[in-house]
Amino acid sequence: MMKIGAIATGRSGDKGDVLDLTIVAYDNAAYTRICQTLTVERVAAILAQVAPSPVERYELPKLRALKFVAPRALPGGVQASLHAGLHWQKAAASLLLELELP
Amino acid sequence: MTTKQSIFVIGAGAGFAGDRIEPAVNMARSGTVDAIALECLAERTLIAALRGRQASSDGGYDPRLRRRLRPLLATTGKRCRVLTNLGAANPAAAARAARKLAQETGAGNLRIAAVIGDDVGNRVNDIEWMEPTAGGEWIGAHAYLGIDPMVEALTGGADVVITGRVADSSLFAAAPVHAMTLDAAGLAGALTLGHLLECSGQLSGGNLSEPNQPDLSVAEYARLGYPIGELQADGTAIIRLLDGEPGRLNAAGCTLQLLYEVHDPRAYITPDAVLDFSNIEFEQLGLNRVRMTGARARPRPERLKVIGFLARRGLVADIEIAYAGTGALQRARNAADILRMRLLDDLAPADVRIDLVGVDSVLGAASLPLLAEPPELRVHVSVRCDDAEIAQMVEDEVYTLTISGPAGGGSVRSERRPRIESITGFIARDRVPTRIEWANQ
Repeated sequence: MMKIGAIATGRSGDKGDVLDLTIVAYDNAAYTRICQTLTVERVAAILAQVAPSPVERYELPKLRALKFVAPRALPGGVQASLHAGLHWQKAAASLLLELELP
Repeated sequence: MTTKQSIFVIGAGAGFAGDRIEPAVNMARSGTVDAIALECLAERTLIAALRGRQASSDGGYDPRLRRRLRPLLATTGKRCRVLTNLGAANPAAAARAARKLAQETGAGNLRIAAVIGDDVGNRVNDIEWMEPTAGGEWIGAHAYLGIDPMVEALTGGADVVITGRVADSSLFAAAPVHAMTLDAAGLAGALTLGHLLECSGQLSGGNLSEPNQPDLSVAEYARLGYPIGELQADGTAIIRLLDGEPGRLNAAGCTLQLLYEVHDPRAYITPDAVLDFSNIEFEQLGLNRVRMTGARARPRPERLKVIGFLARRGLVADIEIAYAGTGALQRARNAADILRMRLLDDLAPADVRIDLVGVDSVLGAASLPLLAEPPELRVHVSVRCDDAEIAQMVEDEVYTLTISGPAGGGSVRSERRPRIESITGFIARDRVPTRIEWANQ
């Protein structure tokens, strides 16, 4: 079994209430695989364990990147959070990189 | 300004208020950089600055101003300009402080300009807010200004431009826009490059882990070079490090930063243009040297974005208690359950959150499984409290665990913070006039 993190890298961030995650694949075949594996439903289900929100997916084939945006994941922004991490979203990309590829 | 430059070299000297000092100093001393931008203003720092301005009319700018600018001013001049948003809630006072510092360091001839106008705190009713604002008290509201007032300051001969809230990409784009003749593609390139540079070390190898490659070494992270962009008039750019500085600049890292904290990558809205990142390509030219092509943009939006800070009633209390040694995990879990049992007598579940630091405080239920008993961990309690009396009660409940709870609980720490929400809004441009204030006069 291979994890997404073996063929891609990622970074997550925030703006106000919005959590965003970027996954970048290292070649075209890897991009096809992450597009198949990281469906909106799958990503939303993973994030729901930490911060429920609808999820939008943007495909960037030229950059071999997927962009996920969760507009309601950080209600009130990080300054208002009761989450011990406050800026926990910096680690959120690891949730996707840990996933096993089919 | 007589001749326009065909290439402009802009350095990312800082990407947040607490960023390292020496990367910008190294750039300035290299003599090879036309301007350095220092991005030093986040929501958190702007809130702190607004409180500082409340306390004193001479306060309200980043308290690190002297530490950050002192080593730079000596090398700043016609060759290298400095643009920074560390003016925060009071750019005029920051410019006066920078002027004083320049005189102390023998650089009294520098022209230092403050950009005034982003503060729209007295116009909150002219702003269309994206969230309900009733029931809170405004702490402040700031419009994200674009390049125009910074270009005006540079045209007026500014060596140092100090702003409050400006769009980060615009802070980095203003100096090249001033010095070059750019068409729409050139402006798109300047702003896209600015967006790439705005988080400093996060473009040059920081916060980057890649498959099949070891992370940077401790020594490389400790001395990480910050990125420099060479903008060409056609809107393409080369991103690189100063010669010999450690770091990692490659296409994957540039792509991560291009899309970082972006919503729709085909419509990244800045005050100066709506950027489309979907056609961007990064090409590795050599070690730590990447070419960016394909920047595109549509015309700037009609309205400016505003960030508003609303204080809600009450405060948040954050308290931690540590457990260590054999059975620490079970004792910490029990402590958390005891606190829930007692606190939920008086407080709503939605206002109480208890995490185990070292187990699941960052990624919650999605955390990796616990494979071994941690030798120590902390119970972290965060509670939304209506007033200080309730905060005291919560703090006391945690302290009481040291004598009436599981064995060995200690190292209690507590903090209180105001309940401040960040709210996004939009305002018509003509409601946000700007002007330049010169510290020299």
